Amino acid sequence: MTQALTILLDSLRMLRASKMFWISLWISALVALSYASIGFTDVGISLGFGMMNFQVPFIRRDTAEATEFYRLLFTDVIVRFWLGWFSLVLALISTCSIFPQFLQPGSIDLALSKPLSRARLFLLKYVGGLSFVATQTLLFCVVAFIAIGYRLDSWSWQVFWAVPVITFSFSLVFCVSALIGVLTRSMIFSLLGSLLFWAMTLVAQWSEDALYKMAYVLPEMGLKIDLTSGGVSEADPSQSNDLRETHRKISALVAILPKTRECTLLLKRLIVLDGPANPRTGLDLGALLSGSSDAELERLMEQYEQRHSVSYLIGTSLAFELLVLGLAIVVFQRRDY
Amino acid sequence: MSDYAVDITSLHKRYSNGTTALNHVQLQVPQGCIFGLIGPNGAGKSTLIKSLLTIIRPTLCEGTMLGKPIGHKPTLSQVGYLPEHAQFPAYLTGREVIEYAAGLSHQSRSQCRVRCDELLEKVGMNAHAHRRISTYSKGMKQRIGLAQALIHQPQVVFLDEPTDGVDPEGRMIMKGIIASLRDEGRTVFVNSHLLSEMEQIADRVAILSQGRIVAEGSIVDLTRKKALFEVSFIGQLPVRLMTWCQEHGMEISNDRIRCHAESAVMIQPLIDQLRGALLVIREIKEQRFSLEELFLQVLADSRKNP
Repeated sequence: MTQALTILLDSLRMLRASKMFWISLWISALVALSYASIGFTDVGISLGFGMMNFQVPFIRRDTAEATEFYRLLFTDVIVRFWLGWFSLVLALISTCSIFPQFLQPGSIDLALSKPLSRARLFLLKYVGGLSFVATQTLLFCVVAFIAIGYRLDSWSWQVFWAVPVITFSFSLVFCVSALIGVLTRSMIFSLLGSLLFWAMTLVAQWSEDALYKMAYVLPEMGLKIDLTSGGVSEADPSQSNDLRETHRKISALVAILPKTRECTLLLKRLIVLDGPANPRTGLDLGALLSGSSDAELERLMEQYEQRHSVSYLIGTSLAFELLVLGLAIVVFQRRDY
Repeated sequence: MSDYAVDITSLHKRYSNGTTALNHVQLQVPQGCIFGLIGPNGAGKSTLIKSLLTIIRPTLCEGTMLGKPIGHKPTLSQVGYLPEHAQFPAYLTGREVIEYAAGLSHQSRSQCRVRCDELLEKVGMNAHAHRRISTYSKGMKQRIGLAQALIHQPQVVFLDEPTDGVDPEGRMIMKGIIASLRDEGRTVFVNSHLLSEMEQIADRVAILSQGRIVAEGSIVDLTRKKALFEVSFIGQLPVRLMTWCQEHGMEISNDRIRCHAESAVMIQPLIDQLRGALLVIREIKEQRFSLEELFLQVLADSRKNP
């Protein structure tokens, strides 16, 4: 226990000394404050703590749409783009040096000469690296929790789901960074390799996503996309078998990869705010702001968003992570330093 | 428990590229002594220490450390280590480095606090303990390195080039600390290139060359084996006596005869021969090898007869 606390404390000290950590934290604080500054009036939305007011016909104070807007702003914009993208890139830049630096001669010797197994040492160091994102997300969630509570009078602890979910999403890329770091002992290779891998998994996920829409959502609506011209035309739902077959193949490939994007998007399912009941599900922010209403489309979108179960997303991603970590531990254990 | 803190029956390390760093090394380090391991660069000194501390995985390792098989992780809680070119995290202060080492050795913070103050005082780093490591000189880092190696009151301490980069005052402090560890009954295993220092502090030494121990014993015994007696005489050395001297491996130069002998008893026949030839013995001088001379001699011998 003392050893675990020592390594975790060391990780926090490392964070404290990292400029990138503070830069990322300040940007997080700015984003969180911007989120908190959004409020609702009798005629629409206010920004900058009431400094600017906008008339929005469908979103007003004490309406289900206002609650949904605030939730979607958190899950679809802030979590997806800030926490799920930019802060993760900053975290990767900051943490890619953890293993290469730790493995430098003269540094690793000290830790390995202690009564601590190599596997445990590796895992504790790994968990220490995750604390970068966990700390950032936790602080962000505290501000978001207060903002949501203040704006909507909805003190929903579900906001804090973002901490484990975002940390887990980050861990799916960080494990690759750790493996490359252990293999090459190079910070640059560790960073570039993990970013490249992340980009590759995103392309695979986007492909699966787009194919699902073309194979299932559009045919259900009686539409099809002409892939040569890009035009949309009417189609018979039964004639989408080829696309469904392609989708099945892509899904099989995606199944073995970590699902960083989809795991981040899980928050949309996990975070449900208390407040006036929202009769409409499967909405995205655009549809909510435009006020458009298409029950069939919303049903299909909800079906699309929930096409993968939580256990599938977490299970397959976790299996990948365990495999990569296992490989990294084997390499770490077998090396001479 | 064995009388040896470290008892290596056979330690062999062959890297995947075919290099043999340690060639079935046998070594016994008695408890409560200062043991010096010396050898040229690339002899395998650091590899030997790292193998004992599980930093390097030996190809074959038979033996014990503190009565437990080498590689037994829990035993390492009784072992301290200062690596060569130690690199401590730059974001930590001197005190935090010591606390970090203590934590990894299962020491609680309360146990560590008092001991940490004592050690900082001992190594002369009290005034700089709250500065970041990145602001330290090499010598200051070595002092902190020594303190972290001792924080958990280990039974055996491995010091790899401990005085590297340390100023004369710091060296004196370190030598004092090493001697006090022996006085407390702890075993200190030192790797060093500074043979004069080693000669001052070590009770026993081993010379490692090309992955093999080529000499081992107490410094007194080893240097005695290489002792030289120089006998000066007045007069002309008869041919018969000259031949006798050469037959007994003695070197003759003008009015001097040099004879390798462990003790004065062994040169008595020469004195008898000289007196029998009616030569006047002007001076008999015993010349002991320094550790450095011994080291060079042993290395030269081992290279001649690998």
